[in-house]
Amino acid sequence: MSLRQVFESEPDRRYVMFGGKGGLGKTTLSATSAFWLASHGKRVLLFSVDPQASLSDIFQRDIFGKGPVPIMENLWAQEVDADRRIREYQEEIRKKILDMYGFDKVPEEIDNYIAAASAEPAMEESAIFDAVVDIIVQGDYDYYIYDLVPLGHALYYLSMAKVYDEWINKITKLRQDMRQYDQVAATMRREEKMQEDQILGELTYIKDRINASSRILTDRKRTAFFFVVVPEEMIILDTQKAAALFAKFDVPLSGYIVNRVLPPDLGQGKIPPYLRNRIAMQQKYMAQIQATFGDEVRAYVPEMERDVTGLPMIERLAQRLFVDGGAVS
Amino acid sequence: MTDQPKKRGGLMKVFKDVVYGMASHEMTRHAIRTRASMEHLFILITMGDLLGVPILPPYYSLRLLPYVTPQIAGWKRRMLRERDLTDVLG
Repeated sequence: MSLRQVFESEPDRRYVMFGGKGGLGKTTLSATSAFWLASHGKRVLLFSVDPQASLSDIFQRDIFGKGPVPIMENLWAQEVDADRRIREYQEEIRKKILDMYGFDKVPEEIDNYIAAASAEPAMEESAIFDAVVDIIVQGDYDYYIYDLVPLGHALYYLSMAKVYDEWINKITKLRQDMRQYDQVAATMRREEKMQEDQILGELTYIKDRINASSRILTDRKRTAFFFVVVPEEMIILDTQKAAALFAKFDVPLSGYIVNRVLPPDLGQGKIPPYLRNRIAMQQKYMAQIQATFGDEVRAYVPEMERDVTGLPMIERLAQRLFVDGGAVS
Repeated sequence: MTDQPKKRGGLMKVFKDVVYGMASHEMTRHAIRTRASMEHLFILITMGDLLGVPILPPYYSLRLLPYVTPQIAGWKRRMLRERDLTDVLG
């Protein structure tokens, strides 16, 4: 089944992710797929969860931190500014403390803690994770295309949903137990009303958001995850390992896209030995890809004569990927 | 005569308080103390960073910070104070 057939036969798979090692063409393929879907009348949001996002580069305009920016008819692209989001979030927490207790300023110790939290290694990823929850729960688009971070990070991102889920379940349970003790004391003292537990309310809110996000990430009916590979030995091996890890997190793997395939007519005629060796090497690994991933390959994408930036070039690649070259029988 | 019912009410209240004191006061105290210990455990789990205990994940614990702000000082005192024999005896 080709990538185009996957999109056509599974229209409910509205959450589309491209993953793979760095520099293999995840951004290019997500932008190309977004372009193709948008030009077929679907409303598409393409967004990046990478702190070093490259959507601005591929569309050749600055979209960083500007929300969903219209690129063409039916296509919007978004790069999350994690730093700004963290700053706004810290400000929100400070304001809440001031409002709740009528302080003139946030107590120094608390303020230091809020400031230090932004330096936590997980803070940026968490902020992006939270931003993505905002993006996907809005539900205004037909398709949400994630331009993912390189493998290791992506795995971290996916596992975050699971870790958060367990963390939040445990502390919610503890909070509920505490509530029971409150209840015992209140009953014995014959108090009729118990104060509402605001923390439990917040925990439930966080829990709902995390659940919404992890449900989507692991939903076979609504989500499609594609691995991008190139015909090179280490990439093939790493992708196999990653696929096994992703499967552990119940990510619904929908196939592989082979990028940077040298055009077959390149080997014709008199060519330098360097190029001949490269072609022979690639043929060897192409055979390995076919043996390893077999009919799970959704497209073979040719190496273009120049890098893919700007809409006209994306359109050309979309033509190759979805109309002529990329189709797999 | 007129303050008779009030007096009876007062006696009733004293009686109720005595029964409460004999039967339930200890249990109530226990429930409240357990609740307080759990509160400290809860803050430790969510705000452990304040004592240098690394806690996952800081992003969402910040959301809870406003609600526990008044308890932070007391909690830190309890967690960081030195313990001696009287703690065990108490």
